[in-house]
Amino acid sequence: MARERISQADEWQAWAQRYDIEGGIRTFESGLTGKVFFGALFVGLLMMPGSIYLSYVSGQSGAAAAPWVAVILFTELARRSFTTARRQELYMLLSLTGAAVGSGMQYRSFIWYAYFINTPQAASYEIADKIPAWVVPPGDSVGVLTRNLLHPDWLLPIGVFLLSKFLGTLRFVSGQYILFRLTADLERLPYPMAPITAQGATALAETTGKQETWRWQVFSIGSMAGLLWGFIYIGVPALSGVMMSQPIQILKIPWIDFTQSIEGFAPTGVFALRTDFGQMLFGFVLPFPVVMSEFVTAMLSQFVLNPHILYRNEILHQWEPGLDVRATGLFNDLDFWRSYGIGKTFSLGLVGMAASIPMIFKLRSSKKKAGERGSLATPPNRGDFPLWLMGLLWLIGMGGFVWLIHWMVPNFPLSFLLGFAFVYTPVNSYITARTYGVLGRDLFEIPYLHEITFILSRYEEIDIWFAPFPDEDYGAGTQGWRVLELTGTTFTSNLAATLLIMPILIISGILVQHFIWQIAPIPSAQYPFVQMMWPINATNECLMKTSLRDGNSEIIQAIRGDYVAAGFTSNLAIYGLLWVFKYPSMWFYGIVGGIGADPGSMVARLLGAIIGRFYMIKRFGLKRWFMFNPVLAAGFACGVGLIGMGTVAIALVSKAVIVKPF
Amino acid sequence: MEKLASFIIIVGTILWFVSVLFLGGSWQWQMFAALILTIGIFIAHFWEEFNEGKSKKDTRKDDN
Repeated sequence: MARERISQADEWQAWAQRYDIEGGIRTFESGLTGKVFFGALFVGLLMMPGSIYLSYVSGQSGAAAAPWVAVILFTELARRSFTTARRQELYMLLSLTGAAVGSGMQYRSFIWYAYFINTPQAASYEIADKIPAWVVPPGDSVGVLTRNLLHPDWLLPIGVFLLSKFLGTLRFVSGQYILFRLTADLERLPYPMAPITAQGATALAETTGKQETWRWQVFSIGSMAGLLWGFIYIGVPALSGVMMSQPIQILKIPWIDFTQSIEGFAPTGVFALRTDFGQMLFGFVLPFPVVMSEFVTAMLSQFVLNPHILYRNEILHQWEPGLDVRATGLFNDLDFWRSYGIGKTFSLGLVGMAASIPMIFKLRSSKKKAGERGSLATPPNRGDFPLWLMGLLWLIGMGGFVWLIHWMVPNFPLSFLLGFAFVYTPVNSYITARTYGVLGRDLFEIPYLHEITFILSRYEEIDIWFAPFPDEDYGAGTQGWRVLELTGTTFTSNLAATLLIMPILIISGILVQHFIWQIAPIPSAQYPFVQMMWPINATNECLMKTSLRDGNSEIIQAIRGDYVAAGFTSNLAIYGLLWVFKYPSMWFYGIVGGIGADPGSMVARLLGAIIGRFYMIKRFGLKRWFMFNPVLAAGFACGVGLIGMGTVAIALVSKAVIVKPF
Repeated sequence: MEKLASFIIIVGTILWFVSVLFLGGSWQWQMFAALILTIGIFIAHFWEEFNEGKSKKDTRKDDN
């Protein structure tokens, strides 16, 4: 029987509707109350330190877990106090916690560059003495050698960071808001993925009411599973690390490497089983065709394409027997996959434009029929801001940012900075906002944009690689404003909360980084993930930052036009053939994600997808299972977060007070 | 238009295979194939968008 053709927009909307079990709300209330303020204090002083520490230990910041931990504790407090929590308050807390965890990661660059400046890689690539003082103090400075972020040596890097943070807040709040008004109010784009986030706050707000619903049961099941898994994966290594020099890992973090085991029949293939089985929850939630096609493509890449086509034809030529997943991956990347990946990304951009440009044409024609579109009128009491004011704030933020970069790298051509700031950024952001508005995801990205720019500018100093660049994208953030609208949270309260939490996070983040750095050198055995990954990251960073030096770039040399063309054309062909044979376009996104990737990193997600598809849906029914999904995932994240934060807190305290005699 | 788009896409795909297998994989031929594929994909999407209201009456079924 012939397959029915489904348009891409319809296809993605249909998936989004599975999660959208409630309509939007059109009455607005403030989410910022005294209770939320104290919740935010909790976030700033307890959750972010835990997430920073977790990121060093396991490579995961707990960014997904931390907000739910904060919210579940908040709702429990409300229940015990015989009061209720509104969904606006809970969403505000979710949002602030997410921002707190995310911003905690920004401070990590201080520690990274303090490590990087003294690495053998930085010395051998002659970078170490050329890293600007506004990034990190010199490698032999007291602030770096004594691991002391509070030393005056760090005043300049921290000062530059704070100024960037202030200007960035101006730009991102105003830029996102303007684009939200254009896409959500003027063009009435649906933002299909926004309701998913709103669902979590709804589920937990219900628990503080008089009647408990199924959501609380599902959330509790997820939480218990998360507690168990969190104890095995995070708790045991963290607690044993307090007492032993080498922490016990029941499951090796972050993966078990089988690359050398498969090299007999699949030379150049990589397979490192990622041991974070919490990823199964993503497998439950993600569309089954995406997970399956991603895994199958990755298996074909590593067991057929790499060993039997690319290796035999000497395209992958640097590999030698006995290499582990990191070295094999690096060589394969340099030999072929980096070039192929550039072409692949360009094909994604083109496919995105091919899908969105006809939509723009259609919207224009349908605008004349529908009276709703084309109006910038706002719903009452939403807490909107004057567009001219936001435009002015964006101009101030971006103007100041360009000035700051010009001060950092005075010899870099100003015209490039102005072009990126005032032409590229608005256009790029608008395209992304539209793809989020229609498809709920980003589809447009130009790879190696900085490298191409630096080549065109003929600027050869290395300091430009350390400076921020004004090629920004506010499009993804517009979805957050849509979630605010769906949860009925006033925009003014969100802005006030953002400004309120910022100083707390700035101060607590720097203090905690200082404290964690004081406990043990980073990387060291106490922080197994960074000990494994940072040396290879240092090599990669050296390769990247010297890629244009003297026109003798290892990376530029590794980029071959025929491989880039192969990546571009083959992916267009895959997309086209899927369309011709009427297969869902999301297969394409799975295939693109899987080409050249390590299938071992996808096993847990695949297990989750298979269990969901072949057991859970039959057990609960499709609609109920997709109602349970986000709540179960939230519960699991909450359980892992609770155990993670608890054990990490014990480890932090113990390491702070126990002096080992050996 | 649907058949035209399908035909162009298939021609582009065949040309890409030919360029890789028999023309040494030169980037020029590959990009020529990409140009043909791009035209086919754009025609496909324009046809899909502007044909949507005519052909689609009912909502799709889940394929999970």
